[in-house]
Amino acid sequence: MKKERSKKYRLIQALRILSQAVFFVLFLYLLFGTHFPGEDYIGRVEIFFHFDPLLALTTFIASRTFFVSFVFAAITVVLTFILGRIACGWVCPLGSIHQAFSFLFKKTKLLRPKRPKGKQTTWKYYILVFILVGTLFSLNLVGILDPLSLLYRSFVTGILPAADYGFSAFIGILYKIHFFSLGDSLVQFTEALAVNPVFLQGFFIGTLFVGIVLLNLWRERFWCRYLCPLGAFLGLISRWNVIKLKIDPKKCIECHLCNIHCETQANPFPVEGWKSSECVYCFTCSAICPTNAMEFPLLPRPEDIKTIDLSRRKLIFTSLLGLLAVPFFRLSPATKRTSPKLIRPPGALPEEQFLQKCVKCGECMKACPTNGLQPALSEAGPEGIWTPVLVPEIGHCEYYCSLCSQVCPTGAIQELAIAEKTKVKIGLAWVNKNRCIPYDLGTPCIVCEEHCPTSPKAIKLVKTEVKLPDGTIRTPLAPVIDTELCIGCGICENKCPVVDKPAIYVTSVGESRSERNQLLLDLIKENSGPY
Amino acid sequence: MNRREFIKGLALGSLALKFQPDLMAQAQDYPDLAWIQGEAPAQITTEAVATIGGIQRFVSKGDVVVVKPNIGWDRIPTQAACTNPVVVKTLVELCLGAGAKEVKVIDNPCNPARRTYARSGIADAAKEAGAKVLFPNPHKLKKMALNGEWLKEWEVYTDFVESDKIINVPIAKTHSLSRLTLGMKNWLGALGGNRNQLHQKLDQAMIDLAAFFKPCLTVMDGYRILIRNGPQGGRLSDAKLFKTVVAGTDYVAVDAAAVTFFDMQPQDLPSLSIAHQKGFGEINLEKLKIEKRTV
Repeated sequence: MKKERSKKYRLIQALRILSQAVFFVLFLYLLFGTHFPGEDYIGRVEIFFHFDPLLALTTFIASRTFFVSFVFAAITVVLTFILGRIACGWVCPLGSIHQAFSFLFKKTKLLRPKRPKGKQTTWKYYILVFILVGTLFSLNLVGILDPLSLLYRSFVTGILPAADYGFSAFIGILYKIHFFSLGDSLVQFTEALAVNPVFLQGFFIGTLFVGIVLLNLWRERFWCRYLCPLGAFLGLISRWNVIKLKIDPKKCIECHLCNIHCETQANPFPVEGWKSSECVYCFTCSAICPTNAMEFPLLPRPEDIKTIDLSRRKLIFTSLLGLLAVPFFRLSPATKRTSPKLIRPPGALPEEQFLQKCVKCGECMKACPTNGLQPALSEAGPEGIWTPVLVPEIGHCEYYCSLCSQVCPTGAIQELAIAEKTKVKIGLAWVNKNRCIPYDLGTPCIVCEEHCPTSPKAIKLVKTEVKLPDGTIRTPLAPVIDTELCIGCGICENKCPVVDKPAIYVTSVGESRSERNQLLLDLIKENSGPY
Repeated sequence: MNRREFIKGLALGSLALKFQPDLMAQAQDYPDLAWIQGEAPAQITTEAVATIGGIQRFVSKGDVVVVKPNIGWDRIPTQAACTNPVVVKTLVELCLGAGAKEVKVIDNPCNPARRTYARSGIADAAKEAGAKVLFPNPHKLKKMALNGEWLKEWEVYTDFVESDKIINVPIAKTHSLSRLTLGMKNWLGALGGNRNQLHQKLDQAMIDLAAFFKPCLTVMDGYRILIRNGPQGGRLSDAKLFKTVVAGTDYVAVDAAAVTFFDMQPQDLPSLSIAHQKGFGEINLEKLKIEKRTV
């Protein structure tokens, strides 16, 4: 038997790597491009998400409304129907990361590929079922595990801030060793990139992501194999695709290299056991085959193809689990009373609808020019984890900016024109007179008033009598909030010179999107907003 | 030149000065303030600088010049919260025309720098004229001895200290604490640190900063002034088209002139009275030689 690897499939493999690289660079390009572009409106930097049929399906079921931009997901569905899971193997940026690290781990002998034993693991299908059952009851958990959401969120809140930290430490060293002009240009460069550097859960989300990447030490493309719900979804609809594996029994020497190096669990040898729904068409098997025995001919005829076996018992069990999760994820006072800290970005739908649509991707947090949008932990209850909240102590809501509403891929934050946005209330500011410098110390300050962006200002300065410790009386100008004008942007809280715990702070009451979370009855009438 | 020639030159020069003392005293021929009004911001800026002696009086060949506008807020030019971009651009062009090696435009804004730089129109305008428009660089923030009465030391961006010349280009606006924000208040934009605390004794802070920064020229942008809701404004009606630029070397005098834009007297601003008492400059407009023209 002549030993010769297939040139054709090695070329296809190279093309696949090229495709992965191109899409990954595109992903990074759009990621880095998601910030203030120098003008009011940004292009479609969130387009990747619109090709994700799982996000389209789950937000559709959970919210019972279809977000038009998701029509692009139909392209992915049709392609998968015809060509199988090429989106996983050739496009998905998270898949590319896993593949790259698997390759790296293999080359450094940290990962020793073994012959797969026993039955395939079908976790990801059950994860998918679990998520879909929840959406029937409008519980949308897809964002936690959808690969694009997971990747984007991890990059925005964990990986990029870590890289930013490292980079600016490097610049610091450059200045120490007197490379001033290089340092200067790098500082201007990083400023222009506008990476938001701090996130409340950056450590947690970042570590989780690193952990998921390290799973590749255990099995090649562990995530894609066992966990990815989108992969499961695409697997299910790829059963009838036309690219079929054929092994020439005359050439095959039964060396099992194809099985050992199969990146997923498609199990190419023996060919009768090959699972097209698991195959991501990376063509590693056909390229590595020492005798050129493997072919992927186009066979439009549906043959009897083995697919992954899902046990009915487990399916029912998972569905029940999904059902049980619905009340569990809503065991939170957040459903009874709005948290004062639940300050949603301007344009956010009323809370119930917002949670149905938000996929926790972090686009808004990347676009936010002040770093103020942060992933929630408990403010919105368990189902609202990693959804965006404004934390004014970190960053305020910039008055003439509506970027978060423009980049939201699901419409959870309704797109707002700048003129509309400036009228939306996201909360109200309160003065803590016990800590406020004029009220408490009789010393002038006015910083909150100065920064208040509305015209006329929502913070008025009023001469106020203050008793000092020695009994003398001073009458400094002290801030008083006009609740009708205040939009809750939080710049006052952010800039307050009482640095540890600002003497002026914003809570969610009065937000335009809510009917219940209001302060004065007439406020509802006058500011019933765009909802 | 050898030593002998040098001594000879020195002797000749001192002789010449003895009999013709006004040889080196040309500067005194210029008015203290150029007060120019007109339709086009570029034209009135150029005219104002020309009137007080031309840019060559302030900028020499090879100088590194920092032009310090007010880019504090995320506002567009018609809202008059930041210095007019055309005024900044014109000054950059003049400096480069006089042979400046490099012109830097920097400010430390209150809103995010990327937004204020872009939306004020200053970044584009200054870049077009050939300036280096720089975001404030945290690595260049150094605690410096200001040796003021109140501010002993504070963090200052070294760009302002290491340059050969500084030109201050404030815009005239109302302010709820200092009543007006003019040239002296503009130096808060050269600082880092928790500068919001400076408001606790703002007038004193302004005095201490004015004593520290040494602009060779102050150009007051009064093309649009902010008459209400300062220092940010917002509504277009908060701004007033005033079509004036005042330039001078005495920054106190320039500020004093700008006070009158708002139908107030220089003495109404405590910071200006203190600056005058300390001998930083003149606030009595009658004592100043002002060349007022409309172009």
